[in-house]
Amino acid sequence: MKRNIMKTLALAIAMMLLLGCLFACDSGETQPSPDDKPATTTKTPSPADDAQDDEEEDSGSDSAALDDIPREETLYFAGLQWGPINGWNPVSSDMNNAVPIAVAAGGSRLPMFETLYMYNMLDGGMYPLLADGDYQWNADMTEMTVKLKSAAKWSDGTPVTAEDVAYSHEFGIKYNTNHGLAMGPYIDTIEAVDGRTVVIKAKVNESGQPENPLMVVQYLGQSYIFQKAWLQKLEARCNNDEAAIKKDPAEDVVYSGPYGPYFANDQKVIIKRNDNYWGQDPSMWGKLPAPKYLAHVMYADNPAGEVAFKAGEVDVCQQFIPNIQDLWLKDGLPISTYMDEAPYHLSASLPTAWYNTSSYGLDNAVIRKAIAIAVDYDAIIANAMTNQSPKFTEVPRSIMNPTDGEQATYNKADVAHLQWVGNDVEGAKKMLDDAGIVDTDGDGWREYNGQKLSYNACCPNGWTDWMAAMEIVAAAGEKIGIEITTEFPEWSVYQTVVTAANQDLYDIFMMGTDGSAPTMPWGRLRQLMSSEFIGVEGNWSGNYGHYSNPRIDELIALIPTETDEAKLREYYTEAVEIYLTDVPSFTLMYRPALFDSVNESVWTNYPEQGDGNNIPPTNLLNGYGIAGLYQIELVNP
Amino acid sequence: MKGYGKYFGKKIIWFLITLVAAVILNFILPRLMPNDPVAAITARTAEGISDVSAVKRIYETYAEQFGTNKPIPTQFYLFVKNALRGDFGLSFSQYPRSVSDIISSAIWWTIALQLPAIIVGWLLGNILGALAAYIRKGFDKVVMPACLLASSMPAFGMAVILLVIFGITLKVAPTSGAYSYTMIPNLSWKFIKSVIEHYQLPFWSIVIIAIGGQAIGMRSMSIYELNADYVKYSRFLGIKDGKIVRYVFRNAMLPQVTGLALSLGSMVGGALVAEIIFSYPGIGTSILQAVTMADYPLLSATTLIITLMVLIATFVIDIIYGFIDPRVKAAQFDS
Repeated sequence: MKRNIMKTLALAIAMMLLLGCLFACDSGETQPSPDDKPATTTKTPSPADDAQDDEEEDSGSDSAALDDIPREETLYFAGLQWGPINGWNPVSSDMNNAVPIAVAAGGSRLPMFETLYMYNMLDGGMYPLLADGDYQWNADMTEMTVKLKSAAKWSDGTPVTAEDVAYSHEFGIKYNTNHGLAMGPYIDTIEAVDGRTVVIKAKVNESGQPENPLMVVQYLGQSYIFQKAWLQKLEARCNNDEAAIKKDPAEDVVYSGPYGPYFANDQKVIIKRNDNYWGQDPSMWGKLPAPKYLAHVMYADNPAGEVAFKAGEVDVCQQFIPNIQDLWLKDGLPISTYMDEAPYHLSASLPTAWYNTSSYGLDNAVIRKAIAIAVDYDAIIANAMTNQSPKFTEVPRSIMNPTDGEQATYNKADVAHLQWVGNDVEGAKKMLDDAGIVDTDGDGWREYNGQKLSYNACCPNGWTDWMAAMEIVAAAGEKIGIEITTEFPEWSVYQTVVTAANQDLYDIFMMGTDGSAPTMPWGRLRQLMSSEFIGVEGNWSGNYGHYSNPRIDELIALIPTETDEAKLREYYTEAVEIYLTDVPSFTLMYRPALFDSVNESVWTNYPEQGDGNNIPPTNLLNGYGIAGLYQIELVNP
Repeated sequence: MKGYGKYFGKKIIWFLITLVAAVILNFILPRLMPNDPVAAITARTAEGISDVSAVKRIYETYAEQFGTNKPIPTQFYLFVKNALRGDFGLSFSQYPRSVSDIISSAIWWTIALQLPAIIVGWLLGNILGALAAYIRKGFDKVVMPACLLASSMPAFGMAVILLVIFGITLKVAPTSGAYSYTMIPNLSWKFIKSVIEHYQLPFWSIVIIAIGGQAIGMRSMSIYELNADYVKYSRFLGIKDGKIVRYVFRNAMLPQVTGLALSLGSMVGGALVAEIIFSYPGIGTSILQAVTMADYPLLSATTLIITLMVLIATFVIDIIYGFIDPRVKAAQFDS
């Protein structure tokens, strides 16, 4: 019997060893088949192949460079790209290709396609890119003249001309591209005066006034310029069909920026420097950007990206990382942010709690303000944002974001009496008591005209910082006798409800606002309170709580064409006054437009506050932030 | 042999009925979710656009393309008609990518991770379980609690533990991806080595849990069989131990085979945790995204694949049982 046991045991051990070997072979054999798969189903066969051919020509027979992108030639990003890309087509909004292509009011992403000017959120300035020198308005702001740099060239070597600029606009209008839909209401035509000069003609209203000069300025930093010849080629192969044009992966796209398509599969996307980039000309940067490759690995979620960032596999991380300072203070990692001290990032947008003004009682400004002043904002900023937001004692609430430029547009002192810093439970109670909104039936909750005040506070499920903020709003309600319960639906459900023309599902709910842009703070005023968005189905534009105030609508119409600084100040101050009095919504915290944390184990000398270079922390990609690509250098050259 | 024909016929009819019901449910259930996927795509496209009528136009264009503005019966007819040709339409969440393209580029990763993991876990688990039952004593005292621990641990717990120990603390294994983040896929030894290294943690996070569950099941079955009358009788007759073990193993295996078939059937949806924790490519994350983004076409197609695989697996098991287990055969013929 004992011998039998020994025999069985020996047999079992032998089998396990065999299986171990089998498994090792297994993984070796089964894996290459899927690996082949992404390589052959790469979304960019032709440019990638071209690029690889170039590479072989450039570096002789350095085939290793094809398999393994040298770490010290590559800048890795995280938090920009989720899921595989669909192509390189810049006139489509469906490419999901965020490293090279992202259109933004506050300065579009510029490594591959370029705009006329680069917006700088730090000073609100427009820095020439394809344009040469400053733009010129005519006297009544109906026409703007822009000159083009003579050095500017496309990736195929041909010059960027005024015709290209004019046709880019024409194409956008014709095929309803993002540019056409965004700028069509404000820009009538763009005409090529000569090879290097364009005149942008603004849309005018009945009285001959321009519709909105601010939007024309925004165009300069938002809309990409494309090559006319390539656009025509695209039209021809898609038979001028709008849907086909927007589905085309545009593997042959011609671009003017410093980087072009190199490689993409379901796991990563890489763009490669065009060493013939026109920007080496002294009239522009005078040199090439430092990294040869810009790469983004697709991480499954934020924690996965964070692990890679800490391990030094990611250089620039656009993710919210709670208690970011611990990474250098406690863990001793070579990680830094735009600012050394809290709030660490430059805040630009205003995550806001909106009141549904059609909910019972929320049409009453007293109830709205009472809830708003009872909320503990310090707790939100400390818990939800781990202090990565300025406090309301530092930046008092308004419709402006915390940047110096926007803060300077109104008179703080004039609205100081309307301000609140929060957690004012007694003040809120008194306000409600004075208005006769008290608990009449003794159940602990206040009634308004005999009906109990009971609300829900909603934000999308999984957005943990917002969820924490809504819990704190609910707690404030309980302290002042208004029942507020939290609800966290899935994002796809949530956004369907809040953008509906009418909804009675959410009473208090969160939505963000736009960050910095040339149209700000006017754009945010419109977003927060304009009544033009009431009753619109699929309203993504703003005023989600359907607040209406005729004076605000007047101010929204007056500001864009006003050039007198004093008058503008007066208008903005009045708008803030109305906002703080009526409280149609309230800011819960400040938040950066882009989180910008960097790991300096490979690259260093990133833009920082106070380094004197005036480069905004926009991941070295958006607007004037791309100047950072020319500034960074290797830790070990 | 006539009995077998009747048995197969009945099984096939039930298989087809279940399939039709599953297809209908696959179509209807995602569409019952109270959200509008077209609105989500519109939101993405509307970036930088403040004009209200322009946003409305974007919405209508997409609704037309996806056919979401058509009545549900028409949508169902189109869905079935196209699905029969293997065309599941365009994905909402990854528009304009086709569902077939998404699935065909991701599913191989899932199969390459799951298939070996399930088989290795199953084999090792059954061997350990059978040995524990047969040897008892010290071996069982170690194996049994270890297996209980492994099988009761949630999949994400095991994945995170492996990640923290081997990936972050010891730094002996990579933490994310299917190959080095600096590499581009190619057929070189360096790349294959990188793939094998990245394979380890996701693989073992699945295998260890599978071993635990299988071993416990196999051990109980074996102990039960070892005490069965026929074993005692065989011993009494003086039949050799080796031969008795073979009888015992074959009988104890039957329920385990069902377990294997079912886990192979549900393999496609099963690697979600490993895929998310290790950012490992595969179909699981696509399914998750399809659920959260209400991507009906992708959701219908992936659930259809899972349904089909489970159905086929159970069908095959039923058929095989008819051959290998006389008790099932007898029961079926009686009814």
